[in-house]
Amino acid sequence: MTQDSSKLLHDIRSKCASLKSAAELYKDCSSGEKKEMLALMTAAAQEISNALAALAKAA
Amino acid sequence: MDQLNIFVLEDDKLAQKVMASRLAEHNVDLAANLKTALKKLETGRYDIGFFDLMLGPGDDYSGLKAIAAAAAKGVYAVVVSSSDSEEIIDRAYELGARDFYAKGNEESNVAEIIAKFVRGRRAADAADVFGSAFVTGDAPTRAMITEALKYAPTELPILLLGPSGTGKTSLAKVLHERSGREGAFVAINCSAYTQDLLEAELFGYRKGAFTGAADGRTGRLLEAHKGTLFLDEIGTMSLNMQMKLLKAIEERSFYPLGSEKPERSEFRIISATLEDPQDLIARGKMRFDLFQRVHGCTVNLPPLAERPGDITLLAQHFMKGGRRLSFTAEARERMLDYAWPGNVRELKKFIDLLSSGAEGRVGLETVAKHLKGQPARRAAGGGGLDDVYSDALARGLEAALDKVADQVIARSLAETGGVRTRTMTELKISTRLLYASLRRQENGRGTIK
Repeated sequence: MTQDSSKLLHDIRSKCASLKSAAELYKDCSSGEKKEMLALMTAAAQEISNALAALAKAA
Repeated sequence: MDQLNIFVLEDDKLAQKVMASRLAEHNVDLAANLKTALKKLETGRYDIGFFDLMLGPGDDYSGLKAIAAAAAKGVYAVVVSSSDSEEIIDRAYELGARDFYAKGNEESNVAEIIAKFVRGRRAADAADVFGSAFVTGDAPTRAMITEALKYAPTELPILLLGPSGTGKTSLAKVLHERSGREGAFVAINCSAYTQDLLEAELFGYRKGAFTGAADGRTGRLLEAHKGTLFLDEIGTMSLNMQMKLLKAIEERSFYPLGSEKPERSEFRIISATLEDPQDLIARGKMRFDLFQRVHGCTVNLPPLAERPGDITLLAQHFMKGGRRLSFTAEARERMLDYAWPGNVRELKKFIDLLSSGAEGRVGLETVAKHLKGQPARRAAGGGGLDDVYSDALARGLEAALDKVADQVIARSLAETGGVRTRTMTELKISTRLLYASLRRQENGRGTIK
């Protein structure tokens, strides 16, 4: 595995972990926080998708 | 709840949000890159720092540099990262990280880290343990206890060794008090019960579980929930009982006698024995798997006679707040020469006796009267039958004789240049006896003393 792929995988793991933690926290958020959290979660999901595309390209 | 100043180095916005929410009860300062982090760590005052290592796509673990800066400022640095490379984990610890957690379990991990930090800080803030809770001026003993106190706020089991009266129970209490555990300190002397009674005492029982059980009773294991269970003289427990206890320790649950419903108890084990555990295992008196479960950190408390400086120190401590006695030089010398087979417990009793006496100024005659018929250790040249006798009183005749055999064999080996066959011939001993002695000597060297 190349160093780039390794870093991409690290990035994917990291963002997935953040998504998991955010999902656990979501139910306890106020409605205002929920909106903010959803926006951040959506952005993280998009970044995961981008990282996966980059990983596929590198493969 | 202690409000802490917490620093977080995290580049990911979602992870920042998660950490800020999890740490909402504290003062949190966030940094998203290394430059800001170093600046904040230079000027700010933080109790704990949470550090991500890879700051942005393609970053080369620059978060490691912030760990070194935080550790230099005394910040309790914790890595929360998705990195799982051994090399990176080792590097983080080398740079001063105190803990390393995988990202993604912040709900439990963050609470655990904060609790651990608060417990450790309380332990460090506690009053000087050697001034009151466990009085000793003996440097090796202090060093050993200081080392054990580091483990007080952890789950690690602690095994206390040492002759009777050396303060094993007192030390167990000190360790519990500094553990930060919310439950009680529950002590039980295993030698004071028969196997059936010990089982009922430890596990409890339901009404009607056995003849005479008119009412149910909560066992010590349950009483020690979230606290400390101190098992004194654990070596006297039957093998069957040891097996049941081992199961309860491993599963953290047990069945009270006569009950079909298991009870759960999260107790921490501190155990003590005045016998050599390796010897107990060799003699089939102690299960090896139980020993493995209870000896995470071992403290070997030396007899009082081996730390003569403590005799005067402890005597003064026992007189605090009560009648202050004064000893003549001869009386003090006699006390220092005495072997104290009952150790600190005997000294306490001795001071109590003198305190209730007629004279405030204590002379040799009074001291000699109370210590009558007992060996004067150094007056006998630090050896001979007197020492063996005190040792036998403290640890039992078999252990005392083993020690004599070990000393004779060690001397012979030194004189024969380590030629074992010559030692066996000259001392007229069997191979079995020689190797048993060598094993004991080897084990003795491996113990913390």
